[in-house]
Amino acid sequence: MSDAVSDFFEGLARNGARMLRQISGTVRFDLDGPDGVEHWLAAIDQGRITVGRGGAEDADTVINADRELFLRMARGEVKPVPAWLRNDFTADGDFRLVMVLERLFAPPPGARHPRAAAGRQQPTGGSAA
Amino acid sequence: MKKLVRILDGNIFALSEDNGDMTFSPTNPAGFFGFDTRLLSTWRLSIDGEPLHPLAVHEPSYYRIRFFLVPGNPTHYVDAKASVIRDRWIADSSFTERLTVLNHTGQSVDHVVRIDIDSDFAPIYHVVWPQASALRGYREVAEDCLRLGYRRDKFHRVTDVSTSEAAEVDERGFTFRIRIGPQGKWSTTLRVKGLVLRPDGADVRDRLRYAEAQVGSQLRHDLTHWLADAPRLHCDWEPMTMTYQRGLVDLAGLRFSPLAMPHETMLAAGLPWSATIIGRDSIITSFQTLPFVPGLAATTLRLLALDQGSVLDDFRDEEPGKMLNEFRYGEMAAFEERPQSPYFGGADVTPLFVVLLDEYERWTGDAALVRELEDATRAALHWIDEYGDLRGDGYLWYQPRNERSGALNHCWKDSPEAICYRDGRLPGLPRATCELQGYAYDAKRRGARLAREFWGDPAYADRLERQAEELKRRFNQDFWIADGEYFALALGPDGDQVDALASNMGHLLWSGIVERPRAEAVAGHLLGPRLFSGWGVRTLATGQTSYNPLGYHVGAVWPFDNSLIACGLYRYGFVAEAGLIAESIIDAAQHFAGRMPEAFAGYDRELTRYPVPYPASNSPQASATGATFLLLRTLLGLEPYGEHLVVHPAVPQRFGRIELLEIPGRWGRMDAIGNARLVTR
Repeated sequence: MSDAVSDFFEGLARNGARMLRQISGTVRFDLDGPDGVEHWLAAIDQGRITVGRGGAEDADTVINADRELFLRMARGEVKPVPAWLRNDFTADGDFRLVMVLERLFAPPPGARHPRAAAGRQQPTGGSAA
Repeated sequence: MKKLVRILDGNIFALSEDNGDMTFSPTNPAGFFGFDTRLLSTWRLSIDGEPLHPLAVHEPSYYRIRFFLVPGNPTHYVDAKASVIRDRWIADSSFTERLTVLNHTGQSVDHVVRIDIDSDFAPIYHVVWPQASALRGYREVAEDCLRLGYRRDKFHRVTDVSTSEAAEVDERGFTFRIRIGPQGKWSTTLRVKGLVLRPDGADVRDRLRYAEAQVGSQLRHDLTHWLADAPRLHCDWEPMTMTYQRGLVDLAGLRFSPLAMPHETMLAAGLPWSATIIGRDSIITSFQTLPFVPGLAATTLRLLALDQGSVLDDFRDEEPGKMLNEFRYGEMAAFEERPQSPYFGGADVTPLFVVLLDEYERWTGDAALVRELEDATRAALHWIDEYGDLRGDGYLWYQPRNERSGALNHCWKDSPEAICYRDGRLPGLPRATCELQGYAYDAKRRGARLAREFWGDPAYADRLERQAEELKRRFNQDFWIADGEYFALALGPDGDQVDALASNMGHLLWSGIVERPRAEAVAGHLLGPRLFSGWGVRTLATGQTSYNPLGYHVGAVWPFDNSLIACGLYRYGFVAEAGLIAESIIDAAQHFAGRMPEAFAGYDRELTRYPVPYPASNSPQASATGATFLLLRTLLGLEPYGEHLVVHPAVPQRFGRIELLEIPGRWGRMDAIGNARLVTR
């Protein structure tokens, strides 16, 4: 059965994220959907991610969001930090992991590279030296 | 901005008139603020319908204030039959007022004591840049408690006001009908608590383990420990010690705990209006104060690394590896009317991050942090080449992608007119200001040291050093204005020289990008009559069309700017010139009881005889406060060298003897002593 949330977490487990080695901690996602709450756990160990599906295990940070909002964040359509500021989802525990949530998700669609915005072609060579 | 009295605790603060009242008007910045929101805009006391007038205001510390008041107009003071004490303090996210009414007669008296309470829940941005505002939100009356609340979708801010003595509560405040016996008194304690509520009714800070971490924040209020831990200064010139002591106290007041690191403290950029993380200011002040209070730099570096950009985002001018410019928690950031959630529109912050990390390790020997932040630092260095180098020509450029609510200039001189030609024209975009190239050069050189010594990557170190040398060589060709013998303020979009003569050149000395033979001409300009006012180096030289002595970035003198310039002059051996800047800036500060203003007007010293402060809204300002510390480091010639602290003083006559005792660092604690030189060069 294909499911957008499962697909996202499987992709995360397979491809990793834009994490840095300085980041460690566990994030549990409690996602509200029509069939109730499903739990996912992302464990980050020095930037490496493992994903699990399960119950309400302890985690450093617990994110409670509805499925639709979560999927929009996962696709990069909604930025996590302002969504948290708006109370569109809630976070319990360590705020550090809220700040790095976006590293798990797709980048915002349609954003421009600064060089493109400055109206120049991507150079073929390197920079100085 | 109107002069108000205030108390604060990090990013929570209260501003009022000198009788303790806050009176709402769209242009009045008075109020109680938290989480970048005005939580209370009306707080007005009256007795029997009369307002109160101040006899005295006592400010024992930055978080506590006491008002001694009498009812009525000043003309009836003489035989006041009653007086009032408002004792007010900030602690644990609350604002508390102990209100006492004293009866000075021999009979019992009846009074009606009224406190009007209201709020507009304005985002702080609208208070700093006043615009139409109205009282808004809902009100809930309960027993001895009034709740003011504001909702927008799920966003919810609440102000709960309670009283220890029984009151008649209505939607606009509390009324107390009291009787006080002969020579007696009556008191109540009013508590105002700001809440940042979630849909489930919990405060977000309680659910992020922030509130519990802040319960001990009283410890932060213990100035004794903070002062005892900092190096002790003795100097024959009293303004130096006064400014240093004031600076230490102001740094203490600027500390706050970020939400993501509730047990650590770092410096807010300025109080009260910039009581937040501003990347550039946090980094520069950490750099300035490293020899004195090195712990602030570690928190700053960790926090900026945590918040480092990870995607392309046009609204926030964000790119992977970029360091943030400003973070706000208020309504406008939440609903994306302003981009500060966080905003990345600064091209200088990212290279300066690398500069600070390297300098931090040189002072403290904290190799663990350098290893912990390796990925973030590599991403920062990569940002310079991949996203900062907009034209692929090896220079660091900027061009805002958010043209609506972002900043036009992504450098410290961020006002729209700041980057200009000598004849006043403004260049198009993108722009490459000169100091950015210096920062990039310095970041690459320092990044190379970190790569070689801590990351075990000598090949990367070699590459960074080659890039730095190439950047320096080309910079000294492309930015040098041969007929004027100075560096252009910037390159414009066609690679042409933006030829205004400006203070930015001084930062080039600090970064070390200036080729030695050119340094003398640069120093000559910085201390010459067009740039040097007598109080310091102007941001823009006289004779430039845009020069205005009251121009924020086009004429005013900034102590932080001058501290970096003095440090740069010292680096190139111009010790007398560095000393002259230090002396002028400290001399100016004594006119403000040692509290270094953000900027002075650029008038000639002979003209005004007094440093005219720029009417800035923040005081203290972190990087201005930090200037004192970097100037002191420069005067004593303090430099870490391996495991040792090298002291190579160059002290002007005026200072006499300077003793700085117990300087913390990788060596433990060390003393530095400098005596005025008879011949300074």
